[in-house]
Amino acid sequence: MSVIETEGLTKRFGSFTAVDHLSFEVREGEVFGLLGPNGAGKTTTIRILACLVSPSEGSAKVLGHDITSDSLRIREVVGILTENPSLYERLTAYENMDFFAEAYGLEDQQERRGRIRELLEFFELWGRRDDKVATFSKGMKQKLAIARALVHRPPIVFLDEPTAGLDPESAKAIRDLIEGLSHHEKSTILLCTHRLEDAERLCDRLMIINRGKRVIVGTVEELQSRMGGKPVLQVTLREASQKVVEAVRGLKQVKQVDADSSATKLTIALDDIASATPEVVRSTVHAGGMVLSVNTLHPSLEEAYLRLVKERSS
Amino acid sequence: MRLQKAMLVFRKDWREVSRNWEVILPMIVIPLMFSVLLPVVLALIPSREAVPGSSLGGSEEMLRNLPSSVRDQLVGMTDRQVQFYMMSLYFFAPFFLIIPLMASSVIASDSFAGEKERKTIEALLATPISDSELFLGKILVSFIPSMMLTVISFLVYSTIVDLLSFSIFDGKLLLPNPTWIMLIFGLAPTAALTSIGLTVMISARVKGFREAQQISAVLLIPVLILIFGQLTGAIFLGPIMVGALTGGFAIVDILLFNMGVKLFRREEILSKLA
Repeated sequence: MSVIETEGLTKRFGSFTAVDHLSFEVREGEVFGLLGPNGAGKTTTIRILACLVSPSEGSAKVLGHDITSDSLRIREVVGILTENPSLYERLTAYENMDFFAEAYGLEDQQERRGRIRELLEFFELWGRRDDKVATFSKGMKQKLAIARALVHRPPIVFLDEPTAGLDPESAKAIRDLIEGLSHHEKSTILLCTHRLEDAERLCDRLMIINRGKRVIVGTVEELQSRMGGKPVLQVTLREASQKVVEAVRGLKQVKQVDADSSATKLTIALDDIASATPEVVRSTVHAGGMVLSVNTLHPSLEEAYLRLVKERSS
Repeated sequence: MRLQKAMLVFRKDWREVSRNWEVILPMIVIPLMFSVLLPVVLALIPSREAVPGSSLGGSEEMLRNLPSSVRDQLVGMTDRQVQFYMMSLYFFAPFFLIIPLMASSVIASDSFAGEKERKTIEALLATPISDSELFLGKILVSFIPSMMLTVISFLVYSTIVDLLSFSIFDGKLLLPNPTWIMLIFGLAPTAALTSIGLTVMISARVKGFREAQQISAVLLIPVLILIFGQLTGAIFLGPIMVGALTGGFAIVDILLFNMGVKLFRREEILSKLA
């Protein structure tokens, strides 16, 4: 079941088109990534879906509610991590959480306290609950901002660049938390990122956008395969042997063989890796090759993504 | 509109403001200056009797233009008593309209512009708090503290004036009187609401706090006109004038609130992010 559906979503700021006829859907319970370089239109798309910005053209529904006519209802069911943590630095972590919890409709104080404690403990911030946010590190602020987005148990969560500006250690910690979160909270997550490691690790499906336009949608594996080609077989030999190269090249399942300069590493393109690998190994050994390792190499999403973005930009 | 949500915004903002001494200090100092210094100055300036040939300064003009009802009150008073009576009850009255305006201007200017500068506005706008609740909450956080300060200042001023008038008028206490009660509880809050409403609207439309404060400073001009009008006798803040101004401001406040909510556009606020 789709919980977010957009149709021809477009946003223009004067003559600049930030989002250009974007159509996609997000299924219930999945982590859906919006991947693209800076200025691709990711934040604007999230702002439109969170009813902070109105579209110039097109339509969108969030949990069946229309973004133009039912904005208040959508704001109730959506949790959002904005581009900046948007935290009140003179308030404590608990006061920040308490304000947003009540703003999102958690009227009962006991219920609020329980929920805030649950989240701050999950994000390892309970011990710092009475400290002003101004004293927090960037990573702690980001954790608190994510906790705030979840305080009202929203069925849909928008996370805009959750690891942006963080050091590698903090970024990994946030990624671990988001991964745990999708299981713990069972929310649908729309994740906006320009970091491939975030998209690769966290997203069930992702959409690459560039200059406001949809480039491609699919699972990470689908995107790797569609954009970067099929996986290839890599055979590492103890010694270089032209005889082995020729033997492998002669197999009918083999489409292409590339050897490195020393000819000890052969990269072999095949129609069907699973069925052809035993035959490749047998031929290699038969031709006198001493096999050290055999690996399947998947094309990297990064290479494919960079190529794609470059192609579209030029 | 849910008042509870507006009060939630009020409580959050007040928590923030009350921890910021750069805002709190001028808010307290200015009213204190008016409520303590004005009557002290009044006690210290020599009476007309003590300085032969002196006049009441700007008040001469006002005395000439006084309504007959007020002139009747002055019958039988000594010059010292007339001077004290006129200055404490009429000259200084408009200053108590400045107190809520000045006290509220810093907070009102900061309402949306400050949130934009500190980049906290987006999360606030993403909450299911309606435009009218958000607008009212921002107005209340300027209005409630500034009116509390105005009432406290009035109480301090009344106490000092009465302490002085007790000796000057042989045991008579001048304040509070009906006109001042109308001024403090009618005109001051309605005038303050007009100024706050306009300032909050400005704050939502500009990029930063300073810009909002500079523009909103213009709103003091009508009150300054009132002060000079009173000094020159062109305007007299008697009960009828106070009542009429209160009514006028109350109507403006209602119109302004509706206009503020109508003009409140989340998208425009976000587009002005610093």
